Amino acid sequence: MTAHVGSILVVEDDEMLRETLGEVLADEGHEVRGAAHGYEALECLDERGVDLIVLDLMMPRMDAFEFREHQRRRPDAATTRLIVLSAARDIETAAERLEADGWLAKPFSLIDVIELVSDLLPERA
Amino acid sequence: MTIPDHADDSATPPDLPVLRSDVAFRLLVDAVQDYAIFLVSVDGRVLSWNLGAQRIKGYSADEIIGKHFSAFYTAEDRDANRPMRVLRKAIEEGRFEDEGWRVRKDGTRFWADVIVTALTDEAGQTFAFAKVTRDLTERLAAEEQRRNLLAEQRGRTAAEEALLARDRFLSIASHELKTPVASLQLAAESVIRARAAGKLDEERLVAGIQRITTSTRRLGVLLNELLDVSRLTADSSPLDAAPVDLVSLVAEIAERFSDGSDRGRIRLAAPDAAVIAGDASRLDQVVTNLVDNALKYSAPPTPVDIEIRQAGSGVEIAVADRGLGLDADSAERIFEAFGRGANAEHIQGLGLGLHIAHQIVLRHGGRIAAEAREDGPGATFSVWLPRDQATAE
Repeated sequence: MTAHVGSILVVEDDEMLRETLGEVLADEGHEVRGAAHGYEALECLDERGVDLIVLDLMMPRMDAFEFREHQRRRPDAATTRLIVLSAARDIETAAERLEADGWLAKPFSLIDVIELVSDLLPERA
Repeated sequence: MTIPDHADDSATPPDLPVLRSDVAFRLLVDAVQDYAIFLVSVDGRVLSWNLGAQRIKGYSADEIIGKHFSAFYTAEDRDANRPMRVLRKAIEEGRFEDEGWRVRKDGTRFWADVIVTALTDEAGQTFAFAKVTRDLTERLAAEEQRRNLLAEQRGRTAAEEALLARDRFLSIASHELKTPVASLQLAAESVIRARAAGKLDEERLVAGIQRITTSTRRLGVLLNELLDVSRLTADSSPLDAAPVDLVSLVAEIAERFSDGSDRGRIRLAAPDAAVIAGDASRLDQVVTNLVDNALKYSAPPTPVDIEIRQAGSGVEIAVADRGLGLDADSAERIFEAFGRGANAEHIQGLGLGLHIAHQIVLRHGGRIAAEAREDGPGATFSVWLPRDQATAE
């Protein structure tokens, strides 16, 4: 089996969920960084690009749509793949509008997130 | 000339020159269909009649000329001597306008706008009255229809607002409840997965269980908030009323919040005691919600000042923070369910704390209010509670 591992930025304002998700993904061999809101996430991206962003839809200060706009204006991060997390019922529509590569409705199972992340990361030798 | 006190049908109507003059003008008046235009003698007898009068009131000229004009009034108005009072008013003021029910020949009523003008001779003596009557029944019906439409519209707006509030509730509740459930599920599954992979050491197990515990506790708090709201809304039975010393209650709550980064933030100014009759556990909830709110919406190490003072027949507790503050619109909405201030959309929690506090204060016969501080940033929340609920203002 080829390992699909990469660098992931988890943007989630709920500290508990952010940490748990980070640990779960790190267990799978990914390199994970976390951000509590959009501004922090953009700073992280400026510091170093990632292979995948896991983004909560409802966040304080900067929502997912605004974050997405800023992210796409950054040459190094413009094409970074995106998974949207949300508790909202219309998450699918939101994911389409964001042109996300995948979405997870809260609450989601560990295996769902692991598989989706793995699917979206490029194959590595 | 004097106006007789009561209607008198027996005398013969006077023959006035005005009735014979100006034939063209009379023809014009006769032809008006939308207004009843006719002359009435000083003693109240109908002297002339036009087409509009016939159409509106149902009498032909032959039937009504010479008869007393009180025939157009309802029995109640006649009993109250309203017709003659109208004439007297017209003499006093020159012109008198009146709106009310009038009666047609067939006994049916119509809503009329009546203008009575006293006609005076050169000596200033009233020799007759000109009456112009308009049937406003249709306009009245149209107005009523408009009012009904307006009421219906208002009802619809209220229903729409209730739907919006429900949607907002569902959106906030699902976000707030599903996020800790997501943490809970991930934390539990990750312990199981680590164990299956043989990677579950002591440290990992403890961290996992701690996460599960914290998420569960958070869910418990949220559920209690939700259940509290429905209980307070559904149950209107009186609260327990035992003596409660608000000073020791508030001091105890302040102590509870004095840990971590909030240590030393709460400053209490209070008399030795302030006893009221109330439900101690519910009042604890009110103060706890206000203090929690003040700490949540302001940053450490800014102080949260609590002042307790005797105020009229009750006690006032004011909680002042130096946080985000609030605008006038938010000050109104903030006590509604999920009525969080415009600047607080993304602060965690269901936004039910102040609503619950408001409900409890109301149940005690008290008042609650929020306002922006005048001496700097921040907000002051004040609660007034009657010393004795029976004497609540």
